[in-house]
Amino acid sequence: MTTTHAVRLPDLGEVDEVTITAWLKAEGDAVTAGEDLLEVETEKTTFVVEAPTDGTLVRIVKREGDKAKQDELLAEIA
Amino acid sequence: MSSWLKSRERTQIVTHLPLGRTDYAAVYLLQRQLHEARVAGKIRDTVITVEHDPVFTIGRSGSANNILVPSEVLDAAGITVYEVERGGDITYHGPGQLVVYPIIDLRDQGRDLRRYIRNLEQGVIDLLAEYGIEGQRRPGFPGVWVGARKIASVGVYVKHWVTRHGLAFNVAVNQKHFGMIHPCGLPIEMASLNELIGTAPSLTAVAQTLLAKMEPLFGWEFVDEDPARYWRGTK
Repeated sequence: MTTTHAVRLPDLGEVDEVTITAWLKAEGDAVTAGEDLLEVETEKTTFVVEAPTDGTLVRIVKREGDKAKQDELLAEIA
Repeated sequence: MSSWLKSRERTQIVTHLPLGRTDYAAVYLLQRQLHEARVAGKIRDTVITVEHDPVFTIGRSGSANNILVPSEVLDAAGITVYEVERGGDITYHGPGQLVVYPIIDLRDQGRDLRRYIRNLEQGVIDLLAEYGIEGQRRPGFPGVWVGARKIASVGVYVKHWVTRHGLAFNVAVNQKHFGMIHPCGLPIEMASLNELIGTAPSLTAVAQTLLAKMEPLFGWEFVDEDPARYWRGTK
């Protein structure tokens, strides 16, 4: 049985929303926990979101240019 | 327990590396090395102050379309262009500008990207007050403004909650160089301290004042270190 792990936007403090500026992995890529997964930007700051677990990046939900708020689903790793 | 004692307990010793005038690429590499060392817990929070040779740097949200002159003009002016990983669009660094690169762990600063930018801006606002100038924030346009003109720009990169890149403050810049771009992708004018106060204080003096303003904002106490031991032959 495969379990799917959600990648969500972490708590970045008093930040309303971020823009996804770059995916560093593509759907189908293997990822390891702590590896750079994507970059988001807010207030002239680039923040690198790490993969929360080992697995395969099966689905990208928020694409480059999309906005996201805290806890929103960005992708799924299985 | 008194609040005085509590705040004293929280004061962090932070390394200040005064690099003086140094090429952008060399400091870019040093920032990456220090970032890696800070993430690994091998060094404490460190703040670089530096003055660069003329460069345009384009951030993650930026575009070379915001360079308004042909490359021959850049070559003639001795300006190099770099694409970098910080947030934001295009900016200029050059002689007469104080650049500050904090390599710090934001987990000690409340894990708050917005608070970090606000504290960087506040340091500049407090610095300007020393010169009798009112620096202001503009909602949606990070940085510090004097009237309609911008005097300090911010652009930051955060990975594993450790920062690099940072802040640039115009002390006595070459406005012709700024005129070759749309700074931050906007048709804005930049302010420079020397034009506001009629004299150009040394970058060293401005750096000392700015760092003194940052100390209470961040809960820091700076200790100067000799940059020579950090270069390891990279310069």
